Amino acid sequence: MRKLSIELNDGKNVFAPGERVEGRIEWSADEDLKALELSLLWYTSGKGTRDAGVVHSKRIDRPGAFGSDTFSFTLPSGPYSFSGKLISLIWALELTCTPGKDTVRKEIVVSPTGREILLTGLAGQGRGQENQPGEFLKRILGVQHASA
Amino acid sequence: MRARDNPFAADRVERIRYRFAGASLDELLTRLEEMNYRGAIVGPEGSGKTTLLEDLHEILERRGRRTRFLFVNDASPLPEAECRRLLSELTPQELVLLDGADAIRRSSWSLFRRHTVRHAAGLIVTSHRPGLLPTLIECSTTPTLLKEIVTDLTSRTRNVSPILLDDLHRRHRGNLRTCLRELYDLYAQET
Repeated sequence: MRKLSIELNDGKNVFAPGERVEGRIEWSADEDLKALELSLLWYTSGKGTRDAGVVHSKRIDRPGAFGSDTFSFTLPSGPYSFSGKLISLIWALELTCTPGKDTVRKEIVVSPTGREILLTGLAGQGRGQENQPGEFLKRILGVQHASA
Repeated sequence: MRARDNPFAADRVERIRYRFAGASLDELLTRLEEMNYRGAIVGPEGSGKTTLLEDLHEILERRGRRTRFLFVNDASPLPEAECRRLLSELTPQELVLLDGADAIRRSSWSLFRRHTVRHAAGLIVTSHRPGLLPTLIECSTTPTLLKEIVTDLTSRTRNVSPILLDDLHRRHRGNLRTCLRELYDLYAQET
């Protein structure tokens, strides 16, 4: 069994462009690991083909079966975290170990405003409301399921 | 709805793996071995051919097979010169997985088919039509399969109307990829 974790200093998960992202990674496994790789990256999520960019990465060869390490990456000036109806751009730290495909990811927000940028059409959407079906969505849900 | 919250976002859909209607994965692998690792996954658009080929790729690699995965379509064609270069690099231990065999030119395909008999450990392709290689499996979809996938992508408390899904499956002629894209658009209108 493997356990990977990423902790950000002071629990901070919102950053301004150019700011430093600092924290600590920990790992434990039943056997010695070959390598660990921590990446600071962004990726898109939405209707079309995914896009992604790795901005920084840190590799630890032969990290043993357990341990911890600190990291410090400087964010670039962009892109900002944003969401529209067709595409979202998400920043994250991702820790992967080999052998295997075990991965843990911690999302962060990169924005000069301190919040994810919401594109036109979503700008008025309040936090927490996205999980409540609106009238349009209710219409495509079965009558018997709409109140479920 | 933010794109990242849309249950039909491409990255979520990509996590849905091939589901067998009849035969199991083990049976398919046995059949593949019996066919000397030369066969075609056949089916219409959006029926899961590429997903199944990707799944086979992962399993074969996990079992220690050396593989080479090639993806060809109209946007990423395989010109004959490139085809010859690829074939010249092949080693007899390699198993070639070719997604979109019917998208390459007939002359390149002919070269591919002949060369891989002697110079590769096998050739598994996807194709919209049968006949390129002996058929390994025919992929198809049903409204029930669409319902299962939609249920997995959405939370179970938000089941989409079965009538809508039946209608989607019929209108898209069983193409699950385009069915799920239409559902993306429907959910995207949620604000």
